[in-house]
Amino acid sequence: MDTSDFGRFSDPALLILASLAGGEKHGYAMIEDIEAMAGVRLGPGTLYGALSRLEQSGLIQALPADERRRPYRLTALGNACLRQYLTSLGNFVSLGLQRLEA
Amino acid sequence: MRMDKVRPWLTNLYPRAWRDRYAVEFDVLLEQCLHSPLDVVDVFLGAVDAHLQLLNGEDLSWRMMNMINKLRTTILMVFTAFIGFIVAGFSLVGLADDSPMIPLMKTNPALAAAWTTIQVGSAVALLAVVIGGLPLALTVVRRALAGDRRSRGLLLVPVFSFLALLLYLVFVFLVGSDRIQIQGVVRVVQPGYFPPGNRLMMEGLMLVFILGAIASTLAVWKVISRNDTEQETFHAVGRSLTVNIYRFAFMPAVIAMLSMLVMLVATVSWGWLSFSVLPQVFAGNFGLWGTNTQAWFISIIAVMAVCTAMAFFGVRRGSPGRTQQ
Repeated sequence: MDTSDFGRFSDPALLILASLAGGEKHGYAMIEDIEAMAGVRLGPGTLYGALSRLEQSGLIQALPADERRRPYRLTALGNACLRQYLTSLGNFVSLGLQRLEA
Repeated sequence: MRMDKVRPWLTNLYPRAWRDRYAVEFDVLLEQCLHSPLDVVDVFLGAVDAHLQLLNGEDLSWRMMNMINKLRTTILMVFTAFIGFIVAGFSLVGLADDSPMIPLMKTNPALAAAWTTIQVGSAVALLAVVIGGLPLALTVVRRALAGDRRSRGLLLVPVFSFLALLLYLVFVFLVGSDRIQIQGVVRVVQPGYFPPGNRLMMEGLMLVFILGAIASTLAVWKVISRNDTEQETFHAVGRSLTVNIYRFAFMPAVIAMLSMLVMLVATVSWGWLSFSVLPQVFAGNFGLWGTNTQAWFISIIAVMAVCTAMAFFGVRRGSPGRTQQ
């Protein structure tokens, strides 16, 4: 599974995975966390478009509703996917920086 | 722009299947973060995207929907199998009631134990189906009353089937009590002779019962198939209880299936024991409408076996390992 499978939702999907890596959250908490973490404020439609795809793919899991709010958490598959993506991104960043310094 | 007025309208832009799954939590999110026209546009685009997902058939891969579909099929298969098993069970009771096996059970402990096992199994299976099916039944009735006209019409089928059976029973009672006289039907049947008129009337009763059971099962199957709701909240005595209706019904379905299996084994054992003690009964005509006992008993076993197999495959389909696929 690759977050690029989510098309125009690939960036929000990555942001959601990164947010949930810090612990389970419901929709509004994710928006706030992502804004604090990456300076990007996801719209509600974008958030749920990406959330539904991540859930379908088994990368995140819905938890029992807390009143009307439903928290989500990262699955083992989601954890592995995020780790793999960030590792390859880290390698790319290192290589890019090396070339700039050369 | 008054966002609180726009909000419900925005959620309704999404497809029904999507709303069934996400509407409650999405509404809460909109309450908190729908601030500007840009947010409205974002939600609008999200709704368009959800419709495109449906058009592309992507919803079929939705893990949650897939799991609900599989569990729903499990519940429907076990429910239908149970109805078939019950019809066969009634035939068995009819066969035993008319034969010398009932008096024999008072002196033969093994035969009595097999019969008791069947009775206990039927009580356990019925209890499991009632407990497991109650939240689902309440949900579909609630949805039907809330405005789903087609479901409401379909739910009238079991009601009319029951009324038809009741009317027929009243008719049989009136004939039996001589208030209605029909040529060829006698009030008191002599042992060893079942008049054609009486047989026709009993065949009519069986036909009304079986057709009613089939029509009701199909109607309830259709209504439940239309219900995509997995989670329902019930309110009683000042308390709220949220139930995952299909997941809740799974364990009772397993119990009902196991009870059917136990009853099938007990019925075969009962027949075998009866045959070894009273073989002449199986050569006689204690089946329904005076049919051959052996042939009728084998038919009952066959129906029970098919129903048990159906319940088994239903449970297998909905088992946790398979719903994750």
